[in-house]
Amino acid sequence: MPGLLHRFLALDRRWIFLLVLVSVTGPIVLPLGLPVTVTESTQKSYDYIEALKPGDVVWLSFDYGPSSAPENDPMAEAFMRQCFLKKVRVIVTALYPLGGLGLANQSLARITAEFPNVEYGVDYINLGYKDGATAVMRRLGDDIAGAFPTDVNGRPLAEFPIMHGLKSIRDVKLVFTAATGLIGEYWITQVHSQIGTPVIIGPTAVSAPKYYAFINSGQLVGMLGGMKGAAEYELLLARGHSELATLYRTTKGFTATKGMDGQTVLHGFILLFIVLGNIAFFQERGKKAGAR
Amino acid sequence: MHFVGFGTWLAALLTIFAFSFLYKDNPFFRFAESLFAGVSLGYYVGITLNQTLLPNLVDPMVQDFGHNWDLIVPGLLGLMLYVRAVPRIGWVSRYALAIYVAYYIGVDFTRRIQGEVLPQIARTMLPLSSLQSTTLVSAIFIVGVYSVLIYFFFSKEQNAVTKPLARLGIWFLMISFGAAFGFTVMGRVALLIGRLNFLILNWIYPTIGLQ
Repeated sequence: MPGLLHRFLALDRRWIFLLVLVSVTGPIVLPLGLPVTVTESTQKSYDYIEALKPGDVVWLSFDYGPSSAPENDPMAEAFMRQCFLKKVRVIVTALYPLGGLGLANQSLARITAEFPNVEYGVDYINLGYKDGATAVMRRLGDDIAGAFPTDVNGRPLAEFPIMHGLKSIRDVKLVFTAATGLIGEYWITQVHSQIGTPVIIGPTAVSAPKYYAFINSGQLVGMLGGMKGAAEYELLLARGHSELATLYRTTKGFTATKGMDGQTVLHGFILLFIVLGNIAFFQERGKKAGAR
Repeated sequence: MHFVGFGTWLAALLTIFAFSFLYKDNPFFRFAESLFAGVSLGYYVGITLNQTLLPNLVDPMVQDFGHNWDLIVPGLLGLMLYVRAVPRIGWVSRYALAIYVAYYIGVDFTRRIQGEVLPQIARTMLPLSSLQSTTLVSAIFIVGVYSVLIYFFFSKEQNAVTKPLARLGIWFLMISFGAAFGFTVMGRVALLIGRLNFLILNWIYPTIGLQ
């Protein structure tokens, strides 16, 4: 056994990569349907959106690019599903330069196809991408049309019924930012703290730990932390809305719930490797101490 | 066998090129890396031009110059930044840069104070007088904040009181680093799952006629 552990320390890392590949590929080919438990921050987010009234306007910002799409796409799409089902109107923007708008367009196309009754300009609108996140948010606090004079297709905002009666971002009921990097934080520290609009964030898992401080301080309504948070949110949607339960059960598209099988299996292997690596490390250290 | 689009094949092959680095560095990986950098830059330029410069600067001035003449100022400041390319008059760009930096300091200063410093300080001022279900959590929170702050206080040599507190601060830091590492692993695995889902469900299965 000690010899085996010693060899473990010298293992070529490519064997680990291969194991990672197999443990993630397996559940994609043969889904396991492992359970997901809901955390408080996701539950609060879901409850807040569920309490919105038909006709309320919310803001959805695609603040991520293709590099984090598997984490952020499912949460942004689930958010739109819940809003459209509750007849809450959605304003879509993208503040992330590299691909935010492309992903917003793709997600909108997918979700509006599922809800054929929603009408562009009435139930939702796409304002497109704007550079300079903090400057844009600052301007949104005064005048939405100042930051986004037109929609994504170049038509003036005044043409769209959804924008009637909306002067600044103060007038929307909620900002949901699916975010990577710092832009999500700007929505909290600039829009919520200076303007007062409630914010829910869907960050990548890498960024999620820092947002717990904002939840504790009451600056965030809730958070969907990475793929796990998105899977929790999908679970709540499926429990609360039978139409979405069917959709999430039958869709051929990618959902966070499907991704969680691979996460769980691989995390098990990672935990095992951490334990074995530490045992081998301490044995090695004990041997060296003994030799001295 | 079903027909899989050119875009799917291209994306699948580029994904494999990128993954090939895990075995060892090779020309396919370098090709994918360079292509990604070039496409990203081109995309950034195009989207900024079409979604920011045209609707916010060019179109308003062309369509109604009388009401939008003041946009000349930010337009000129933007152009001044590019004067750096001409060394003889490169100094002109410094004025634009100074205004740009000053603006962001102003915006960011209030954002940091109002959005981060004050709310987080307020969160550490918790009532510990009455015993509630959250009192213990609040107490741990406060001990964590103060012990970490003591660890990062470098202006005075640590003594018998502050040394154990700083050590406790290290424990709090280590726990937070562990949580951050766990989340990072989860995030990276999520990206791998996304790519493998694409390769298997959108490329391999349709190609071999399984979907």
